[in-house]
Amino acid sequence: MIRGLQIYLMALKHNFAARMAYRADFIFSSLMSFVSEMFIPLITFFIYEMGSSFPGWGFYEVLLLQGIFMLSNGVARLTFFGIVSSTLGHVREGTYDLLLIKPRSTLFLSIANVFSPDSIGTIFAAVYIIRLSLDKLVWPGALSWIEFLVLFLFSLMVLFSFSLFMAGSMFKWVGNSRIYEIFDSITSFGNYPATIFSKSFRILISNVIPIALLGFFPASALLGKEIEGALSAALVCIIFLALGLCFWRFMLSKYTSAGG
Amino acid sequence: MFRKIYRYFDILKAVASATYKEWAAYRTHSMVSIFVGPVYFLVQFFIWKAVYASRGSINGFTLEQTLTYFGISALIEYLIMDFADWNLQMLIHTGKFLTFMLKPMSHVYFAFSQKIGHRILGFIFEFTPVMLIFLLVFRITIFPVRPFWALISIILGYLMRFLVDYSIGITAFWFTKTSGIRRVFLLFRDVCSGVFFPLAFLPELWQKALMLLPFQFIAYVPIRVFIGSYELGGISCSIPQIVAIQATAVTVMAIFTIVLYKIGVRRFTGVGT
Repeated sequence: MIRGLQIYLMALKHNFAARMAYRADFIFSSLMSFVSEMFIPLITFFIYEMGSSFPGWGFYEVLLLQGIFMLSNGVARLTFFGIVSSTLGHVREGTYDLLLIKPRSTLFLSIANVFSPDSIGTIFAAVYIIRLSLDKLVWPGALSWIEFLVLFLFSLMVLFSFSLFMAGSMFKWVGNSRIYEIFDSITSFGNYPATIFSKSFRILISNVIPIALLGFFPASALLGKEIEGALSAALVCIIFLALGLCFWRFMLSKYTSAGG
Repeated sequence: MFRKIYRYFDILKAVASATYKEWAAYRTHSMVSIFVGPVYFLVQFFIWKAVYASRGSINGFTLEQTLTYFGISALIEYLIMDFADWNLQMLIHTGKFLTFMLKPMSHVYFAFSQKIGHRILGFIFEFTPVMLIFLLVFRITIFPVRPFWALISIILGYLMRFLVDYSIGITAFWFTKTSGIRRVFLLFRDVCSGVFFPLAFLPELWQKALMLLPFQFIAYVPIRVFIGSYELGGISCSIPQIVAIQATAVTVMAIFTIVLYKIGVRRFTGVGT
């Protein structure tokens, strides 16, 4: 365990040092992450500015939901989501073997090598949006915060499962960088209150692919709204993670070095 | 003169054909759009259906018109998209641009020829199937009101998109690694070109500011020409008028891109990794 932590910290240090080789780009990239993350909230602002709204949700409530969605994405990208691009690159170049021959879990090494400092901008943007929204709403009580933290952990589990499915598919679907578009399109449902979707879609994003956990359920918990369906979504999330791990292991077993 | 034109056409044909064959090997990558396009449209459908629940129209757009706008926007994107910015910055960053310095042709023309080959593939594997889904499943009206002007406007949008993207790629001559700049520029381009929502939804001051930028000519103008009416910032134009303005903007942008390229290429020092 301690050795694993040491390896993780060393890899983290190396990743940070490698990124700092292009300091100006890093600073600019982080700043731009901050700015570009404001895009979805900006659309929401325009919608409310025009006098329209999402039924049952005020402007700052939707903003809070989008801030939480942003936060879970930011934390995922900072820590483990890079396994998708890393697997994509390694498999395409045939260098994934380098991870396989090392005396540690391949998944652990994959995660350890993908720390992405650029996502700090996204996390700052998320914290800013959440703070801004909470200042305009009733500050949540301790129980709401506990519920939120538990659901937030589940949201990270959902994203980790997605990254496993995506990274796993890279072993056979070599070099397809458009996999991110599939992910973005599916998870884009999570940026809005689930109440705007039809009933069948709500079931789909709660009990089949638990996207509602990325923003809707954690935000509802903080806002003191009803979180009916969160428990079943959490159970689905655990199954989703188990499936993701099985899928990744199965696809890894199918990996054949394709590089040269 | 004609010999020179034939030569350029031969180059275009050869590069476009090679690019088509190269990317056709990864045609399943293009076919991702068959899933992504309709899913994004579905998200827009739910968002705007909820937004329009309390009112009949927003800034002159009904729900049906807004959904048509998004459908056409998605389809036009498949016709005009490119990766000239990414490609150029990658060549500069890895030092591979050096090989283009040795070739008896401009990289701008090479990249443009590549785009043609790539988009022919896009037309077959992205535009056509997604158009059929929009037409048959979502029942979107995707026939231009004035086909001739719509075609001209889409071609001009295609050129403008290439020129804007290529100019973003040229910044790599100064910064070498440009992922940050590209990210913000591309987002700014998409917001200001009307890919994400009709520019008429923006506050009027913003709309007026956008009239001074080249971005609306990439998507907003072709979509509005496709729909058959143009209006931005309180200014309405007839279809031939706005297409003429678009052609002028493309010419100015082409001059800007070529000048920027000539200045930038002098800074190239073959940075390798």
